[in-house]
Amino acid sequence: MNGFETIIYQKKEGIAIVSLNRPHVLNAYNLKMRDELYQVLEAIRDDPDIEVAIFKGEGKSFCAGADLTEFLTAPSPIIAREVRWERDVWGLFLSLPQPLIAALHGYVLGSGVEIALCCDIRIASEDARFGLPETGLGIIPAAGATQNLPRTIKLGWALQILLSGDFFPAEEAYKIGLINKIVPREKLLQVSEEIALKIKSRPSHLVRKIKELIRRGLDVSLEQGLELEWRSWSI
Amino acid sequence: MGYKSIYIRKEGGIATITLLQPFLNHQMAMELKDACQEIRWDKEVWVVVLAGGEDFCYGGEGIESQQGIEAIAHLDLPVLASISGRALGLGLALCLGCDIRIASPDASFGFPDLLSPLGGITQRLPRLIGRGKAFEMLLVGEIINSQEALQIGLINKIADNPLQITLDLARRLAQKAPIALRLAKEAVYKGLDLTLEQGLRLEADLYFLLHTTKDRIEGVRAFLEKRKAKFTGE
Repeated sequence: MNGFETIIYQKKEGIAIVSLNRPHVLNAYNLKMRDELYQVLEAIRDDPDIEVAIFKGEGKSFCAGADLTEFLTAPSPIIAREVRWERDVWGLFLSLPQPLIAALHGYVLGSGVEIALCCDIRIASEDARFGLPETGLGIIPAAGATQNLPRTIKLGWALQILLSGDFFPAEEAYKIGLINKIVPREKLLQVSEEIALKIKSRPSHLVRKIKELIRRGLDVSLEQGLELEWRSWSI
Repeated sequence: MGYKSIYIRKEGGIATITLLQPFLNHQMAMELKDACQEIRWDKEVWVVVLAGGEDFCYGGEGIESQQGIEAIAHLDLPVLASISGRALGLGLALCLGCDIRIASPDASFGFPDLLSPLGGITQRLPRLIGRGKAFEMLLVGEIINSQEALQIGLINKIADNPLQITLDLARRLAQKAPIALRLAKEAVYKGLDLTLEQGLRLEADLYFLLHTTKDRIEGVRAFLEKRKAKFTGE
């Protein structure tokens, strides 16, 4: 599967590597990337050989946010809403059964943070800088950050990041629990692949089951969650 | 409005409410409630700062305090707390109703007396710092310092001059699109009561609602023209 314009998709030994590939604009997320990401995510979901996937960025940054040049011609709210749910790339992202690892470097802003939050494990290099600048642009994040961020880190930090739009370095992202690990820039991919290999070495059906139970369990009462966990054994 | 226990100053889109006494009695609760009503209908106010004096607030008058705390917590615009000295009991409950907390290095936090479950303490505290720490703070009653409060996510920042740093942040927030700030806050709080899928629907709907604002056009244009956006709240 290749021939994409904005994404490089590789697959080796059960690990998918998805690289955002618009390095001249710091991998700004545009409509083309949305369409291609949707295809890639579907391919990962439907490929039984893939046990884990890594998301990374080509060039100097992971992703500096949405491509705002496409925002000037905004469709009506009704049309925009229809388009959003016709091809729900973020819902698809969050529904992938495999564990996903984000390898983050350089600018990780706006949609960049949101892509990272759709992943299960986040590794960042020392030079990574994070931020959600949306409220300074007259908008709010719309790829899940207002929901996934407070579900990932503590509420007070989440509100500060979302409301202030301030950028912050990898070190702070680590302290508040937004990322799992900080590594030197030249080791970023290597460490991410090592983690992917470790996950791959474990029984795939159990790995998937655990991801699903954690994700579904967080939406229900503890009692219902325990019931889900228990039932997962008896099938 | 003749407030006696609080003082309000409005400037540059920021309403600063200063607590003139460190005890949340009935009168202060009622005045906070009135102040929030006043702010709610004031189109010129985009951000709120709640500041104490030498002590932020070290307690309250039981059920009388509740309405003041809830009035602050129900404001739909960003509310920042500047905390010096003691934030104890219902005084701590009051700052839990704010969105971002900045404290002095010598501030202290806790519930030294076992409180009646009031002012949201059994609900807002565990949602903010997790249930292990919340049980400890509420049941053991140990008072913690700013350093620990920062570590557990109870406060956002420690500053030698918390009021100045809080006002700096408030000024930065007042440069942003006010409707976007309000809807971002709504998406977070309302979303936490929903399943992730429902929360994502809410976020998207609020986002599309912002398509109808002038500030969205201004925000995007200013970015592309590499200038500072001038938001009007429309």
